[in-house]
Amino acid sequence: MTWPGELLRRLKMLLQQRQFDATLEEEMRLHQELRQEQLIESGMTAEAARAAARRNFGNPTLLKEKSHKTWGWGWLESLVQDVNYGVRAMLRSPVLTAVALISLALGIGANTAIFSLLDAVMLRSLPVKEPSQLVLLGRGRWNGISDDFPITELYSYPFYREMQRKNVVFSDVAAALSMSNSVHGLVEGRDETEPMNLQLVSGTYFPLLGVQAFMGRALTDEDDRVEGASPVAVVSYTWWKRALASDPSVLDRKVKLGSTMFTIIGVAPPEFFGTNVGEAPDMWIPLAMMQQVPPGWKGYNDNLAESLYVMGRLKPGVTMAQADANVNLVYQQILRGFPDVRLDQKSLADLNKIRVPLTPMATGLSSLRREFSEPLKILMAVVALVLIIACANIANLLLARSTARARELAVRQALGARRSRIIRQLLTESLLIALAGGALGIWFASLASRLLLRMVSSGPQPLPLNVSIDTRLLLFTLAVTVATALLFGTIPAVRATKLQLTDALKDGRGSQGTGTKSPLAKALVVSQVSLSLILLVGAGLFLRSLVNLSNVDTGFNKENVLRLQTSASSVGYKENDPRLTALYQQIEERVSALPGVRAASYSSFTFHEGSWNTYVSVPGRITDKDVDVEHNVVGKGYFDTMQIPLIAGRTFGPEDTATSQRVGVISERMARTMFPPGNPIGSHYHIGSPDNPYEIEVIGIVKDVKFNSLQEDPTTLDYIPYTQRHQYLDDFEVRYSGDFNAIAASVKQAIHSVDRNLPITRITTLDEQVGRSFTNQKLVAELSTFFGLLAVFLSCIGIYGLMSYVVSQRTREIGIRMALGAPRSSVRTMVMREIALLVAVGVAIGIPITIASGRMVSHMLFGLKGADATSLVTAIVVLLAVGLFAGYLPARRASRIDPMIALRYE
Amino acid sequence: MLRVEEGSLYPALQRMLIKGWVNAEWGTASGNRRARYYTLTTAGHKQLGIEISQFERVMGAVARVIQTA
Repeated sequence: MTWPGELLRRLKMLLQQRQFDATLEEEMRLHQELRQEQLIESGMTAEAARAAARRNFGNPTLLKEKSHKTWGWGWLESLVQDVNYGVRAMLRSPVLTAVALISLALGIGANTAIFSLLDAVMLRSLPVKEPSQLVLLGRGRWNGISDDFPITELYSYPFYREMQRKNVVFSDVAAALSMSNSVHGLVEGRDETEPMNLQLVSGTYFPLLGVQAFMGRALTDEDDRVEGASPVAVVSYTWWKRALASDPSVLDRKVKLGSTMFTIIGVAPPEFFGTNVGEAPDMWIPLAMMQQVPPGWKGYNDNLAESLYVMGRLKPGVTMAQADANVNLVYQQILRGFPDVRLDQKSLADLNKIRVPLTPMATGLSSLRREFSEPLKILMAVVALVLIIACANIANLLLARSTARARELAVRQALGARRSRIIRQLLTESLLIALAGGALGIWFASLASRLLLRMVSSGPQPLPLNVSIDTRLLLFTLAVTVATALLFGTIPAVRATKLQLTDALKDGRGSQGTGTKSPLAKALVVSQVSLSLILLVGAGLFLRSLVNLSNVDTGFNKENVLRLQTSASSVGYKENDPRLTALYQQIEERVSALPGVRAASYSSFTFHEGSWNTYVSVPGRITDKDVDVEHNVVGKGYFDTMQIPLIAGRTFGPEDTATSQRVGVISERMARTMFPPGNPIGSHYHIGSPDNPYEIEVIGIVKDVKFNSLQEDPTTLDYIPYTQRHQYLDDFEVRYSGDFNAIAASVKQAIHSVDRNLPITRITTLDEQVGRSFTNQKLVAELSTFFGLLAVFLSCIGIYGLMSYVVSQRTREIGIRMALGAPRSSVRTMVMREIALLVAVGVAIGIPITIASGRMVSHMLFGLKGADATSLVTAIVVLLAVGLFAGYLPARRASRIDPMIALRYE
Repeated sequence: MLRVEEGSLYPALQRMLIKGWVNAEWGTASGNRRARYYTLTTAGHKQLGIEISQFERVMGAVARVIQTA
């Protein structure tokens, strides 16, 4: 009850300290004077009275200090003292302080930057209501449309509705299309279309997530009840700001998507980006409108058009186990209840075995996470090691400084300072350096994280990830900073105060010499060398892996190919529209006629874009439904444009029309593995089951190409001419010679001369597109090389510092040697030998750890194994060279010592 | 003879000031000299009572030990 008042009184004293001091002093003085007067009255002389009064009173300084202490602000005063002292010490040796601060800033900043990316991609929860209760059906690893039965990754719309009705464990269920729609929409009142990213979701999506609209309203279940009946959209805050310039009257504005006019009914809150980490749709649209939005997916009523992610919110008190049981039960009910499912023996067996896994969705779905979680973890380890190396440098610095301060500390201890008090002061100095470094580090991190985001984004736009500095990040940085301060400050502080006072107070070197400090300092440098070895070898491995990837033979010629995307679906062409085929043919003709263009072709895919795959049925072979053939619908100039060599037969020509025999060109691997031995040319096969009407005659075989990634084994691939299969084709490639920009401009012109409104996006080269497929390897290689070199640089400084110190400590010894006749070169050799020994020990300790870590990352490498001898040997040679280079100056200094001066040196 | 340094009064007074058991103010003593006047607060009175009763208890215990001796 009394302590609030007490606290107030203590605070009052703190603020009015001077007044308090004055009062106390006056009080004590008056006390003594009074006593003095009394003694005079009782007969003493003035002198004696004063002396007696003083004696009786006691030690006023001590009493003042005791009084101060009772008020309890002693710790604050000593802290301020220490900080003051620390700042002055830092300013006294500006160069060393600068080096320390910069290495700390780089180390702490790098850690924070990488952590910010890691946090955004892997750790942060979705900005929705109670994300820990959200659950996904399946693992969220697939996206697309499938008609496989039974599967657990993607679901149809009727399934979602049934699950919503029948389950008992979810308070609500929602669905979202597993692909995002890239559409060129027309904002009402403008004349040009703009590229937009749309996300089709169920009406229950926003209510499930508990997200309220920032303006207007969010989608509701009512908007999703009748197919095609609700052309409404909720726009994202970012899009509203960017594309509509934060128009306050955004509600009821309209956007034309395809041939339907959509009304904007709401704006999502600023921090909301959907449920997919790494993607941020511009608009959310009800699934009921899926056919109206280009490219017009069908499937609202199709039981087996499986394209949705289904998610639910657990009812309070329901465990995952209960949810798992109920979901699986309902899953079986629904699937068996679909009337249009053909339950043959195999699918029945599969259905009996299958289990729907439930995945917690607190951190959202993310393909980005799958791609980058390992690289980010590795980079986190790399920057942590760099920070440790930087700390070792600073620890050595502090050790060297405390040697210089030995006398000062000895004097203080002799005068009565407690060891703990001095340690506290030294630690405060360390904390000061660390905090200064940390503050610089945060600034560095804010720059670095933006750079990191660019490196991680494959494409011209940076990924929509929030890597700005926020509270979590600041707390992380603070924790790292304090840890580093303790790491590099504790041992030197403890060491510095463990003194033999008499020895330290004596003049001269005495017994203090190479004795106590050097082993610790040497150990620190040795550990720096070991860690640098690990980082160097790691960098070498990733770098070589990257080079291997860049040199993979893709099967096609990726040089000198321009590619772009057009979106016929956005400007009113319907699928299966004969105008579509005419459009593509005309564009190909016009562009092929341009100067500098060797060949041009449309296709549905080129590389690393996804696929359309089905199983195929070959007569004379047992149909294996688990083997997928990837189909690429292409123009007749495709093989020339991509320079894919023809091995046998022919490619498409003008004789392959909509009415002639359906033909196909197959890949080598497909020819070898899926057809009976002999020449497959002339054979027929069916897409899908044998009763599927699409029957293809093989007319040619082409060389295998990489289709999805550079690391894949050759796949079974076939090519179908678009004259025989009318569908949207978005990819257009042009083989050219000459200047890229000039060709790009003339190609655009040619396309627009055929259809002025056709939107053209993503103009780039095939080479660049292939490069985008290994963004994460590039990230790891580039960053690990940068940090590896940084680590070596820091170790270099460490070795230089240590050698300088050792030389200065052994000045007398060297002087004696030289005076006794040792040549300068032998002194130099002596120093260099010590360095070589240090590096050798460091390397020896580092080798087993390096090999072990190399094995751990083997699976991320391409074309080499983790325990790679070349990288190891190269790294060792580099470290040795760097070490000798670092030690050269101190060695030279040692050899230049004048014996006469050295012998007098104290 | 019990000899206590007179100045050791002051840290004790400070402690009592912190705890709110006394109030202090400047005043004039006889002979026109400045002096510091300390008065007990209500809380101080209560604390005094507590201290006295504790002291009496100790005295009582000591007395009993002496009696039996």
